[in-house]
Amino acid sequence: MMKPVYILSSSAISPQHSFEPENFLHPVKSTDDGKLFVVDPDYRQFINPVAIRRMSRLIKMGIAAGMNALKLAGLEKPDAIITGTGLGSMTDMEHFLKDMINMNEEALNPTFFIQSTYNSVNGWIAVQSKCTSYNQTYVNRGFSLELSLLDAQLLLNEATEREVALVGCFDELTDEYFIVKNKIGYWKKQLPQSRHLLKESNTVGTIAGEGTSFFTLSNKAENSVCILHGVKMIQSPTSAEISANISTFLQQHHVALQDIDLIITGMNGDTNFQPLYQAALEHTQPHTTIAAFKHLSGEYPTASGFALWLSAQLFSTQTIPEEIIYKRGATTDIRKILIINHYILNTASLMLLSN
Amino acid sequence: MEDLKLKLKQQIIESLNLQGMEPKDIDDNAALFGEGLGLDSIDSLELMVLLERNYGIKIEDAREGRKVLSSVQSMAEYIQLHQKA
Amino acid sequence: MADRIVVTSLGILSALGLGKEAHLHALTRGHAGLQHPQFLKTFHAPDCLIGEVRMSDEELAISLNLPGGNNGYTRTTLLALFAMRELLQGVDESLLKDDSFAFINANTVGGMCSVENMYFDFISNTPEGDFLKYIDTLDCAESTQNVAKYFGLKPMMATISTACSSSANALILGARMIQQGVVERAICGGCDAMSRFTVNGFLSLKNVAKNPCKPFDQNRMGLNLGEGAGYLMLERETDAKKRGAEILAYFTGYANTNDAYHPTAPSPDGAGAYRTMFQALEKANLQPETIGYINAHGTATINNDAAEGKAIENLFGTQAPYFSSTKPFTGHTLAAAGSIEAIFSIWAMQEGKVFPNLNFENQMEELQIKPAAQLISNVAVNHVLSNSFGFGGNNVSLVFSKV
Repeated sequence: MMKPVYILSSSAISPQHSFEPENFLHPVKSTDDGKLFVVDPDYRQFINPVAIRRMSRLIKMGIAAGMNALKLAGLEKPDAIITGTGLGSMTDMEHFLKDMINMNEEALNPTFFIQSTYNSVNGWIAVQSKCTSYNQTYVNRGFSLELSLLDAQLLLNEATEREVALVGCFDELTDEYFIVKNKIGYWKKQLPQSRHLLKESNTVGTIAGEGTSFFTLSNKAENSVCILHGVKMIQSPTSAEISANISTFLQQHHVALQDIDLIITGMNGDTNFQPLYQAALEHTQPHTTIAAFKHLSGEYPTASGFALWLSAQLFSTQTIPEEIIYKRGATTDIRKILIINHYILNTASLMLLSN
Repeated sequence: MEDLKLKLKQQIIESLNLQGMEPKDIDDNAALFGEGLGLDSIDSLELMVLLERNYGIKIEDAREGRKVLSSVQSMAEYIQLHQKA
Repeated sequence: MADRIVVTSLGILSALGLGKEAHLHALTRGHAGLQHPQFLKTFHAPDCLIGEVRMSDEELAISLNLPGGNNGYTRTTLLALFAMRELLQGVDESLLKDDSFAFINANTVGGMCSVENMYFDFISNTPEGDFLKYIDTLDCAESTQNVAKYFGLKPMMATISTACSSSANALILGARMIQQGVVERAICGGCDAMSRFTVNGFLSLKNVAKNPCKPFDQNRMGLNLGEGAGYLMLERETDAKKRGAEILAYFTGYANTNDAYHPTAPSPDGAGAYRTMFQALEKANLQPETIGYINAHGTATINNDAAEGKAIENLFGTQAPYFSSTKPFTGHTLAAAGSIEAIFSIWAMQEGKVFPNLNFENQMEELQIKPAAQLISNVAVNHVLSNSFGFGGNNVSLVFSKV
């Protein structure tokens, strides 16, 4: 059994005011066109001015969040950079692909090709932080962040001294992506006000989002904001088994369901997945608060990153914002958080955190 | 030639997204690579795309390209010599 | 002493064919697999040579008992299925129970080979059509999921995408997951199929040769692309011995480092490559002089070969071990290169051979070392080093040792 790891800092660029967490949910950003795009920070503060001129949105988002997480932890250089993305830079891919077709494969811009490679964010963070150590990128749909966290946990368990891994995830939304996935029922037919997404849970589909979240993780507890005990990835989750999956996972970490103060769920208003969450939450205790976040982040492969960022904030503030509460429980202290998230391509994941 | 150099500078600024720069900021004979503008190997490839799309000139070898692209002056001279009508 | 990680099965498909016999036949006779693309419809076909697998999508599908036509299977997945099927022969089903094993896959552009031909349908107003079968196939994990599904497996799955070092990274992750007790065994490797996106991407970088590539040659003019898939099964030595499995090699060392220099160019003095090889040897607890053969990354680009050549010289000295790039045989198989070349490295040890660095004529002026231009036989290769250096500065070196 691997030892837990410690989150030192976190940084998220999301459709909400998350980059400056003191402004989080002030105000709540909402949309009625089914697309939640991020609130952009000033990227020039985090990125080499000569390099930034070529960079597309996703690259800037990822680098800024990553460098900010390092800054918040008081670090210049991590001991590893491990990231996950479900889709990579869609903008660059779309640009290069369409040019290629429209211009009959002539005179194409190399920048779009290079930036469409999934590990380009990692490469840039390594250049900026001068980090020559372990560097990895996972591209595995709803598990992309989870695999990154697992890899970091492996690394930090292997280390004999104190080490800090920078772990993150990023995904972007484009208008074309929205059109494509609309054809297979990803999104609601009647697009709701995003803020009220969960009130529309009796129809199929959800709304689209994007974002990036980065964390510094250590194998030592000093200066940490919370503990990440472990991550569980469930392939082809079923309502019948989800409860048992959760039970086993908690038992492995010597925790009982009644010890959980807050469960953050990936409920996204899609009726296809409500049974899964109902089954998952069947045995929760009245004192446990149930929360949801996808009405704020939208749905995307690495949306669990937003939930993880949120958790890190809540351990510090010890206040659960009304906006995320799905069912209020009696508990007042936030000591243990369980994240239960699903992604449409047949995956679900669990993360256990404590203060 | 002067018109060409001015147009070229505008195209370079646009192609490489040199924000905040204007043609008057680029000296005809100033080195584009190394010091100064701080352009790199990817920029040189982008400039070769510029030559191909706007002037019909295709440079196959990246190393040959770097010589042609050493300054706006050398680019303009190359274009005058090789531009497809 | 910690239980060593061993390789107990493998599967490989490339322009040289399927499996050990076909590959060894080509590697020992100097029969390169490059050709002007037959199956990939690109305007650049007359001007580039590709290590294309000699089967159309239709032929691959039929051989796999899949329906023909637009069946929702990308060429990336088809290549992966072929190599995986070979690996699974002789592997008892009971060893692959649920998530006690991991399937760690890698590729660079997912199902782009299919998507690029249908993209305008994807974004058009047309709500329906055959293209819908491919609508979730763009990302890298589509082949991972489809391979597991085809064989009825439910492993722990991961897909890595770190450009040319991807499948080498997959092997490292597999070893570490076994060592930490997360899984009992791991099938690791990668797959990449040719696409116009990839061909044009590399052409835009102007580092593609029109002729067969010449790694480590003074007059090298760039790389040739290739496609293929390679997978290796890893497990603990004690587990392998307990079940009487044939051990093909020990996976004794590895390193993953980053150049942290530039998005596509390696550090010019080879510092990044040096660091990776050094750390891999350190991990294997081996001195440089114990390495009998280096399967170099050797893409024949100006930058890679300069950096890698310098690094080999600095680390091993002017009496460096035999080294060669096998990319003139297969083309640069991108995400599959790490695993395909790991397999070549293992065969080099088993056969006591050093496969030739084809097309080599003139030593690089800045180096005092040169690759093995001819096949060398009857060599005692006890430890082998395999390099894979990718975009984004992702550098990986693997060390395998003889049984």
